[in-house]
Amino acid sequence: MSASPLFIVLASPEHEKVQLAGMIASVAAVSERPTQLFVSMAAVAIFQKGLSAGERYKGGAFSGLMLEKGAPDAMELFAQGKMLGELSIVACSMALDIQGWTLDDLVEDLFDEAGGLTKFLSDAEAGELIVL
Amino acid sequence: MSTTTIDARGAYCPGPLLELIAGLKLIEIGDEIEVLSSDQGSIKDIPEWVAKVGHEIGESAELDGYWSIRIIKAK
Repeated sequence: MSASPLFIVLASPEHEKVQLAGMIASVAAVSERPTQLFVSMAAVAIFQKGLSAGERYKGGAFSGLMLEKGAPDAMELFAQGKMLGELSIVACSMALDIQGWTLDDLVEDLFDEAGGLTKFLSDAEAGELIVL
Repeated sequence: MSTTTIDARGAYCPGPLLELIAGLKLIEIGDEIEVLSSDQGSIKDIPEWVAKVGHEIGESAELDGYWSIRIIKAK
């Protein structure tokens, strides 16, 4: 029996939560569990194209440790989840509109589409939902 | 049977697992990958993933500050 799909809402721009989202999404996706990530609110800004790790990730002391120790870059984790497993990533269309952005402003090849919350929540009825 | 070694020492979770999965795509069924990892979580996570998706776990050993985990591609 295949695992139920996993749905993750990432709304926080904090490095620690973005990192955890990347870890959960990538590991679930490569473990034969279809996974969908919905990026909303201030988290959308984390995915801005062209930022260095130092510019992209802001957080507490643990964020600093992760950068210092060379923990996997969260953007790479999302990319590996997509490449090696079944991971789709949706950018919240409302959050994009508020920023005045389109998908072209975000890290390339990560996002499948811009979408709304209604469709995501409808899809999420089929599985488990995590909010970060 | 050929063996490929992936040296993931120094990589943090879930790096060693993701490197293993990428490596499995490049080898034939029946071939083996040896993962070298200094990440404590990977010692349990890799066998768990291998059992879940249907590959085979081979011998594992704790070496000098890291572990060697052997995985055989089964599908």
